[in-house]
Formats: sequence, structure tokens, C-alpha cells
Amino acid sequence: MTTGAQPAIVNSAAIKTAERVDPIIRQIRDLAYKVSGIFQLDEKLYLLVDGCGRRMKQLGVGSHRDYWELLSASSSREAELRQLLNELTIGETCLFRCQPQLDALRKIILPEMAAGKTRQVMKRLRIWSAGCSTGEESYTLAMNMLEESEGLLKGWTVEILATDLNDRSLEVAKAGIYGDYALRSTTDHFRRKYFTALDDKKLQVRPEVKKLITFSRLNLQDDSKMLFMKGMDLIFCCNVLIYFDGPSKSKVINHFYSNLNFGGYFFLGTSESLFKLNDQFHLVHFPGAIGYWKPSLTSGKL
Amino acid sequence: MNTATSHDIQARVARMEATPSIPAVLMPLLKLLQGPSESVQLDEVAKLVSYDSTIAAQCLRVASSPLFGLAKPPESIKGAIISLGLRRVESIVLTCCLGKAFPVKDGPLDPMVFWRHSLGCAMVCRKFSEKLVAADGEKAYMAGLLHDIGFMVNSLAFPKEFAPAAELAYLEQIPFDQAELATMGFTHCETGRALAEKWHMTDDIIQVIAHHHSVERSDVTTQPLVALVHLSDLLCRMRGMGYGYDERQKVDLLHDPAWTILLREHRDLDGVDLVRFTFELDAAVGEVCELVSSIFGQTGQAVAAT
Repeated sequence: MTTGAQPAIVNSAAIKTAERVDPIIRQIRDLAYKVSGIFQLDEKLYLLVDGCGRRMKQLGVGSHRDYWELLSASSSREAELRQLLNELTIGETCLFRCQPQLDALRKIILPEMAAGKTRQVMKRLRIWSAGCSTGEESYTLAMNMLEESEGLLKGWTVEILATDLNDRSLEVAKAGIYGDYALRSTTDHFRRKYFTALDDKKLQVRPEVKKLITFSRLNLQDDSKMLFMKGMDLIFCCNVLIYFDGPSKSKVINHFYSNLNFGGYFFLGTSESLFKLNDQFHLVHFPGAIGYWKPSLTSGKL
Repeated sequence: MNTATSHDIQARVARMEATPSIPAVLMPLLKLLQGPSESVQLDEVAKLVSYDSTIAAQCLRVASSPLFGLAKPPESIKGAIISLGLRRVESIVLTCCLGKAFPVKDGPLDPMVFWRHSLGCAMVCRKFSEKLVAADGEKAYMAGLLHDIGFMVNSLAFPKEFAPAAELAYLEQIPFDQAELATMGFTHCETGRALAEKWHMTDDIIQVIAHHHSVERSDVTTQPLVALVHLSDLLCRMRGMGYGYDERQKVDLLHDPAWTILLREHRDLDGVDLVRFTFELDAAVGEVCELVSSIFGQTGQAVAAT
């Protein structure tokens, strides 16, 4: 730190990067947020720059400005925006992707639910991983629930329903085999306790974890099937809604709301928002995580 | 709170007079800032700031932070005042003075953590105000910066009583005011109020300090400001700018009575996208931490040298 008359410039590398970013990138960020609810933080704008770069290369577009024209004026803008968002969320998936969400679940939500269900004879917790892709989130949830099986969830039945539209993803999910990249946030404790080594590079989820999860194919836009997904305590739907247009998004969210039990919670991806899509859910802040709560019948508010 | 405790608080706060770490410039500055803003003299403020060279250097440093919006560091105090505007300079000077006032010695509360929360809350208050057309951003900044000043009083005047409160808060991961009530029978709101009154702070700031955990009990006229600080405080604590631990609680800001109070005064609050606002604040956490290290790191060195 410099001392004396010449003050140091207080600035972090991230801020400097953000300052150098082309203003058009910020415009694209705002458009992406408006359409998809996914927000790219200033310090992560480089991801957006990279994503745009990849799309521009594929399309043979030379400048950010030309790409912006394509996104804002062209008739194919919705499709292009979806391609871009796909670039942004791809490869983001790993096990234990959002620790604050898991902390909220184990330290705040489960104790609350356990207290609420003390009088029920059949203690059951139903979790739905909607748009589970290759299963990372589902297994993360299952392992965390198993960690509580001798504590908060003693004597409980935990069911995790994991659905996706893509059969290929579901096959990968069912196999439960992951490499270093997907396991980059998984601690040794969880690796040892819930995985078996297949070879030097791959670990497979153990049967006792798989036992908790049912993987099945489901189209979130299939209204008749959505009506049957009742009685959920928790729904996770991360980076899936970006693939839907405004009206279908609202419809899916409304389904989620009715599929949840009173007092249940709905979680989106870490940088997604439900703004103006549903006014029945209560937006709640947990330390480091945001969730949506379906108020319990007894308490209209907290 | 019973009368005996109330007297005790006032008596102990009165004895804080001689605290050596409170910069000499702070008291005259507060007095100067109390007057109507049009009567505050630029030169007077510049002169006061220049009295203390470490404070002057810090002011320049803080003014060059992204939080205060100057692209490059100003070259003089006067230059800073001209380019920033007097009211923003007041915020900066106050930030620096208060940064120096907290005891550096080991106490129940880490001063760095305290200032990260106070400065974080000041920043959130101002950014929140920017979303509301009729809100006064600098006033909100000041209110956010000072709202928890009672913790400073606790550390200085009630160290023995405050230690178990802090211990309980960290151990149980409960909000600090609950831990204070359970162990001490009073909170930083009462001790902060006593100091604010002794220092003749303005009524609205006193209300913020006294009632940011009980918005509905504050004076009706200052309720919107108190509500704004209350909400910003909660938001800070949920986004990594709390007291160094994750509280085991969920917070529903949109259904908090403070939100309704603020909405009554600022109809445009309805259009604020709270999730996006939260994401925007996350991007500023790094700036707050750097600013705190730059103010506090230097204070630590200065004190260690004497």
C-alpha cells in the first residue's frame, strides 16, 4: 500500500476489467436479463464477452455492434439469444455448484420443515430436480440429505425426482459417473463416502445415493403431466427457464407453484430471477442465496 | 430497558470523551455538518480536513474509490471538494474519521468486520436511494454508515458485557441484537443513541441509530429513512457484508413492514427489481472490502507506530 501524499488508486482487477468492457456488452447483458432473467455480474462480464466471441465466430460476425444488431433487430433474435445463453450456462454444471443454497437448505429450511412436520405420522420429504440434465444437482441433493439422515431427517423418507427432456442426458445421469471437472467442488469427505473409483480419472456414485433418486423424462411444457407432479417440498430448476419464451415461462412457474406443498421452496440458478413472472411466491434471502417460498397456510408472512 | 441501565449507558458514554483514537477533526466537523447545507463553507471543511495529514491522505484515497465515482484520484482536498461536491465530501470525511475512531485493540468485535458492514450498508443505502427518485442519497449514505455506531460504544464502554453477547451471536449464528438482548438486556441501538445524542447528531440520524431494528417505533417523519437503512442492513447481512458469520435466518424484504413504510413515501419502490439489485450489490462487495482495508489498514499502521 502506498502511503504519504500520493494516494493509491483503490481498484480491483475485476473493476478494471469491467471498466474496459465495451458498452455494447453491457447492453447485451441487460437484454439477456430482460428476456431470460439471467444476470451476468460485472466481475463475470468476461464470460459474456467470451460467449459473444464464440457465437460471433460461428456466425462470421465481425464486431460487437454487428452482433448487437443481430440480437436486437433481426427476426431470428430470440433463437440467437437462446444460443448465446446456452454458451453462458454450458459447462457451468458441477456437483456442489452452489454451497450457500445447500447451507440454506440444511441450516434453515430443513429445521423449519422438520418442525412443521413433527405431528405427521409418515414423515416424507419430496424434492424435484426439474431439468436435471446430467444429474449433478440431483446427486448433490441426495448426498446432502443422506448427511442429515442420522440427524434432522432421522426416520424420514426422502424421495428425489429428477426429470429432463433429453434422453441422452438422463442416461448419463443414471450412470452417475463423473470426472475431475464435474467434481471440482466436491470435498474429499463426500468423494470418499459416496463414490467408488472407476479408474484414475472417474468416480461413480454409490448405489445408496442412487436409491434416493428416480430419473425420468418429462417435458416441463406438457401441462397434463405437470398436473401430476404434486406434493413437492422443494423444487430446483436451475438454468432451464432460459429455453422458454415469456408466456411458457410463466405457465411453467405457475405449475411449480401449485406442485409445491404450502411452506415449500423453489430455487432457480444462482444468477436467475423470477421478476414479474409470478406474484404468489415470496422472494426470500438466505445468506448468499435467493429462494422463492410458497407461504404456509398458517402464516401469511414470516 | 430499565432506568438504571439507561443512566448507566449515559454515564459510561459521557466518560468516553477522552478516547484518544477519536480524531480531533471529528467533533468540529459534525458540528459544521449539522447546519443547513447552504451555510457550510467549503474552505472551512477543507481546512478541517487538512489539519490531520493521515485523514487528508485517506480522504484523497477514498475519493478515488469507485464507490465515490472519481475516475482518477484528486490532487488536492480542494480539488476533491470541487469535483465531488460538498455533500459527498462530507460523507468521505465522516467515513475516514469514523474509520479511525474504532479501537484497534483486540475486542469482541473485529473493527475490520464492523467497518465492512458499516461501509457496506452505507453503500447499499446510497445505491438503494438511487433507485428512488425522491430519496437523498448522501443522507442515506450517512445513515447507513452510522447506524451501528452503538457497537463502537459497546466495545469501548461496555467491553465486559459485550463479549458474551458477541460470543453468543457467533456461536448460535443469531442476529447480534437478539444476542445482546439475551445477555446484556440492552442493544447497540440504545448505546448508539446515547453517543449520537452526546455528539449532537441530527434527529433523523439519531432515529436511524435508535430504531433500525424497530422501524415502526421511530418518529413518523423519519420512518422512510429508518426503513431504508433497516432493509439495506438486512440485505448486507444476507450478502456477505454482515458480522463475519452467516445468520441462520431467512429474510423476506418485500413483506417486511419497513418495505411498506418505504413504499408509502416512494411509490417507485414498486418497480425495483430486488433480485437484480442484489446481484448488482454483489459486484460492489469487493470495492467495499478494498476501501475498508485502505482506510483501516493505514489506521492500524498509524496506531502501531505511536
